[in-house]
Amino acid sequence: MDISPILDGFGVVLEPANLLYCLIGVIIGMLIGVLPGLGPGATIAILLPITYGIGPVSAIIMLAGIFYGAQYGGTITSVLLRLPGEASSVVTVFDGFALAKQGRAGTALGIAAIGSFVGGTVSILALTLVAPVVAGFALDFGPPEYAALGILGVLLISSVGNGNRLKAIIAACVGLLLATVGRDTFTGAERFTFGSLNLAEGIDFIPIAMGLFGLSEILYNLEERHNQVHSPAKVGNVWPSRKDLGQAKGAIGRGSLIGFVLGVLPGGGAVLSSLAAYALEKRRAKQPERFGRGAVEGVAAPETANNAAATSSFIPLLTLGIPANATMALIFGALLIQGIQPGPQLVTEHPDVFWGVINSMYIGNILLLIMSIPMVGVFVRILRVRPAILAPITVLITLLGAYTVNNSAYDIYLVIVFGVLGYLMKKFGFEPGPLVLAFVLGSMIENSSRQSLLIFGGDPAGFLTRPISGTVLALVVIVAAWPLIRKALRRKTPDRVEEKIT
Amino acid sequence: MPTSRPASRRILVSVAGAAAAIALTACGGVKTTSSGGGDGEYPTGNIEFSVGASAGGSTDLITRALAQGMAKELGVSAPVLNKPGANGALNAKELQSAKADGYKIAVQNASLFTITPLTVSAAEATKIDSFDVITGISRDDYVMATNAESGYKSIEDMKKAGKTIRYGTTGVGTGAQLASALTFKTAGIEATAVPFDGGAPALTALLGNQVDVSTMQIGEAIENVKAGKLVPLAVFSQERIPYLPDVKTAKEQGFDVLVTQYRFLTAPKGTPENVKTKLLDAAKKVFATPEYKKFNEENSLTPMEVAPQEVLTSLQNDSTTYKAQLDKFGISLAG
Repeated sequence: MDISPILDGFGVVLEPANLLYCLIGVIIGMLIGVLPGLGPGATIAILLPITYGIGPVSAIIMLAGIFYGAQYGGTITSVLLRLPGEASSVVTVFDGFALAKQGRAGTALGIAAIGSFVGGTVSILALTLVAPVVAGFALDFGPPEYAALGILGVLLISSVGNGNRLKAIIAACVGLLLATVGRDTFTGAERFTFGSLNLAEGIDFIPIAMGLFGLSEILYNLEERHNQVHSPAKVGNVWPSRKDLGQAKGAIGRGSLIGFVLGVLPGGGAVLSSLAAYALEKRRAKQPERFGRGAVEGVAAPETANNAAATSSFIPLLTLGIPANATMALIFGALLIQGIQPGPQLVTEHPDVFWGVINSMYIGNILLLIMSIPMVGVFVRILRVRPAILAPITVLITLLGAYTVNNSAYDIYLVIVFGVLGYLMKKFGFEPGPLVLAFVLGSMIENSSRQSLLIFGGDPAGFLTRPISGTVLALVVIVAAWPLIRKALRRKTPDRVEEKIT
Repeated sequence: MPTSRPASRRILVSVAGAAAAIALTACGGVKTTSSGGGDGEYPTGNIEFSVGASAGGSTDLITRALAQGMAKELGVSAPVLNKPGANGALNAKELQSAKADGYKIAVQNASLFTITPLTVSAAEATKIDSFDVITGISRDDYVMATNAESGYKSIEDMKKAGKTIRYGTTGVGTGAQLASALTFKTAGIEATAVPFDGGAPALTALLGNQVDVSTMQIGEAIENVKAGKLVPLAVFSQERIPYLPDVKTAKEQGFDVLVTQYRFLTAPKGTPENVKTKLLDAAKKVFATPEYKKFNEENSLTPMEVAPQEVLTSLQNDSTTYKAQLDKFGISLAG
C-alpha cells in the first residue's frame, strides 16, 4: 500500500486554514447537536452558500466536522434532558438519563465522550486501511439482507429497557403501526393519512422522539412536583472514576467494532449499531438487570457504536458515490458545487480531498474530546436549574427544533400529540424506547421485504438461500431461543458437578 | 442551595443565549418577507425560494445556485426554505395560496405536473394553472443502466436474454419508473419493477447486482459509468445527451419512449407583469454567468432556459403523451 497520499493528506489537514475550518466545524456541530431538532443536515444546508467561497478541501473538512461533532453534542441532551436528537442516540437515553437522575450525569457524559472518541478514531483507522474492501461488503447487502437485519433489530428491542416484556411488545407493535402511515412506496396508495398531505410522506422520527421522550418527561414531572417537594438534582463526580472506565472498557471496544461494520451499510446502519452494541453488552453482563437503571456500559456501548458508525458512513460516499443518509446527501451536494464528483474515482482523481477529509477526522475527534472535558462540567450544571425554569425553556427549544426540521408548524402539533401519548404511556408503565425503535426499523423491514420478494419473483425461500441474509436469520433464531438454551445449559451444569463429586 | 443559585443562573442565561443565537441563525433562512409594494419598486425585501424537497437533492441544489445568483442581481437576500413532502405537492399547495407579489417563488419539477397526477387522486393533483411560470431552467435526463457484470449493452440485449428483468426505479410516480415501464412494455420484455426510495438506494442495488437494471438521473449514475462499473443502456430524451454522447436514445434503438424531467421557476398566479419581468431578467443574467454554466455541467444538467409559454406547452404535451401511452399499453404506475 502506497502511503504517500495518506501522508500528503496530513499535510493538507495541518495547513492552518484547514485546521481552523476543522475547529469551526466541530464547534458548530457540537452546538447544534445539543439543540434538538436542528440537526447537522439543516445546518449544513444553511451553511452551504458559505462553502462556495472556500476551497473544496476546507469546505468538506468543515462540513464533515459538523456531522461528527453533532454526534458528540447529541449525547448531551439525551443524557441530561432525555431528548434524543437522532435515532441512533435513542438507546443512550435509557441508561444515560438514569445516571443523570442519580446525580451521575458527569459520569455518563464523560464515558460517552471517551467512547465517542475511541469509536471515532478506531473507525477512521479502519477507514484508512480497508475502505475500498468494505465498500464492496456494503454492496453485498441487498434488500433481503436489510430485511433480515431489521428483524434482528426488532428482536433486540426486546432486550432494551427493564419493564414488562408484554408491554414492550405492545409498544413496539404501535411503533410498527406508526411506521406504515404515509404513502405506500410500492403502489402510491395512501395509508392512514386521512386525506392529509402532511401525512402523505409519513411521520418524521424527530417529532415522535421529542414528544415521547422529551415532552412526556416534562409533563410527567409537572404532575410529580405537585405531589412531592422537589430537591435539586445532585451533581456529583463530574468525571468518570477509574472503576467506571474499567467497567466501560470492553463495551467501548466491542462498540467500536460493531459501529464500524454496521455503519458502512447505507440506510439504518447507525441505529442498528447502537441497538446491537447495547443488546450485546446487556447479554454479556453478569447482572443484566442493571441495564436501564444506570449502567455505565449502557451509555458507553451505543455512544461508541454510533460515532464509529457515523465515521464509517463516509465510506459509501467517498468510495462509491452513494450518500448513506440525508446529511451525507448534503455533503455530496457540497462536493458537487465544488466541482468534485464523489465516486469510485475520487481517491485517484482528488487524493487531496479523499485523504484530507479522512485525516481531518483524526484531528476533529481530538478537538472534540478536548472540548468535551470542560463542556461536561458546564452542561451538567443545567440540572441544577430549577425545573420551573428549565422545563419551559426545554419545551420551547424542543418545539422550535421540531419546527426547523421541515419548517412546518404541523410537526409542532405532532410533538404535542406524542408528548401526551408518552405521558399516558409512562402512567401506565409502558416504555417509549421500544415504540420509537420499532418505528425506525418498521419501514426498513417492510420496504426491504417487499423489494426482496419482487426480486425473488415471489419466492420467500430466497431469504434463506442467500448467504448473508440466511446467516442473519439463523442468528435471529439463536437470539430468540437463547433464554431457553441458557436454561437448558444451566440445568445441566450443576448435574455434572454433582456427578463429579459423587 | 443559595450559594449556587447565582452561578447556575448565569450558566442558564449563557446557555439560553447560545441557544437563542443559534436559533436566530437558523431563522435567517426562515425570515418572512417584508411585503413591498408591487409597483415599480420591486424588490424591496427578501425573496424567499421554497423547495418542495429535502436539502441536498437536485431541486434543492438548483434552487440554491439560482437563488444565490439572483440575490446578487436584485440586491436583496434570497433565503432558501425546504418544505419537503408529497413529492413537492405540499410546497406547491402553499405557494399557490401565497400572496402574488413576487416575494415567495419556487423552482418546481415537471414530474409533479405530468407524472404524479397519474398516480394520485384528481383532488390531490397539482395543476400548473395555479402558477405563473417565469422561465424554464434545465433538463435533468434519465438513463437506464446495468451492472457491467450483466453483459447487456442495449435494450435489445435484454430482450435476447429471454428472462424476467428486475428493474430498480427511484419510486412510484417518478419519471424513472415511467420510462422503464414504457421501455419494457414497448420492447415486449418481461419485467418486474422494484421501487426504491430515491436515486441513492436504486444505485446501490444496481452496483451490488441486486437488480438487473436501474433507471435514475444522469448525475446520479455518471461517476460509476465513467469508472466502468455501470453500463448505460439508453437515455430517454429526444436527442443524445452531451454528457453521455455514446449512449443511444431509446428512440434510436427503436422504442418510442420519451420521458424527461425539467425544472422551471414559478410564482403564485396573478403576479404583476413588472415583477415577473424583473425576476426573468435576473434569472437570465444568472444563466449567463460562467459559475452557473459550470454548475450545470457538474450536475449533468442540460440548460432549458426557455420562455414560459414553451414550458407550458411541454407540460401539456408530456401529460397527454404519458397518459395516452399508459392507456395504450394498459400500464398502471400504481403497483
